Amino acid sequence: MSSRDTNNGPLSSATLHILLALAGGNLHGYGIIKEIRRSSDGHYRLGPGTLYDNLKKLMEAGLVADAPQVAPPKRRAAAMKEDDRRFYTLTKEGKDVLAKEVDRLQSVVSQARLRLRESRVRI
Amino acid sequence: MNRIVSRFAYRFLLRLHPASFQNEFGAEMLWIFDEEDQQSGAAYLLFDGARSLLRQRFRIQNDPGQSSITSGTIITGPGMSPLRLLQGGVSFLLIFFCLIRVLSHPNSLFLSVKWADRMSCYTLTLEAPSHAEVVLDSAP
Repeated sequence: MSSRDTNNGPLSSATLHILLALAGGNLHGYGIIKEIRRSSDGHYRLGPGTLYDNLKKLMEAGLVADAPQVAPPKRRAAAMKEDDRRFYTLTKEGKDVLAKEVDRLQSVVSQARLRLRESRVRI
Repeated sequence: MNRIVSRFAYRFLLRLHPASFQNEFGAEMLWIFDEEDQQSGAAYLLFDGARSLLRQRFRIQNDPGQSSITSGTIITGPGMSPLRLLQGGVSFLLIFFCLIRVLSHPNSLFLSVKWADRMSCYTLTLEAPSHAEVVLDSAP
């Protein structure tokens, strides 16, 4: 997938939610699911299949990448299993695509507000 | 019992994914399934896994440029024959509906595997309140 594809047209809901979740910081897969649930007040649910299918495409497009692992000092061996989780980060290109999508949504909202105001005046 | 059956079904779904996807994300998906099983429900996670399987299998492997993240459309590729696809689809639907039936009646599961001489195949039988039979594999 080329970056050109991601710049055309609106992003899918899953892609937008994943990018938004990662905009807040690096997360592992389950962290992304929980963050999306939290930020949408439980209205948007994302299963692991949909998540990793989208993550794979986003990584191929260069919008998301593996986050560099930071080795925590003096951690016990039992706690290391949690650190084996793969973390994901938003790339610069990913941030650009997200910013463009937010701008697009902003203009949609502005248009909608304008139309609603006009219809109220007519009534 | 339900958890064991649904976990087994999810692992089965994961094994049907392309090897590269399985190696990259399989362990994490199973881990999330274990964590989410109670909260989201096994049926939803199994459905999500099946959807992911279809997407992965349909995607054109040699031309990732054609799979757009913006459109959400499924693009069929030359990698799988229509007959194979139909076979897989029917098998999956049968297994899925049997599982749903079994999960909704937790105390009435009866599982048997037997060799059918006339048909030369193994049959896996899941008996819920209504009878359901799935032929898993043909082996002469």
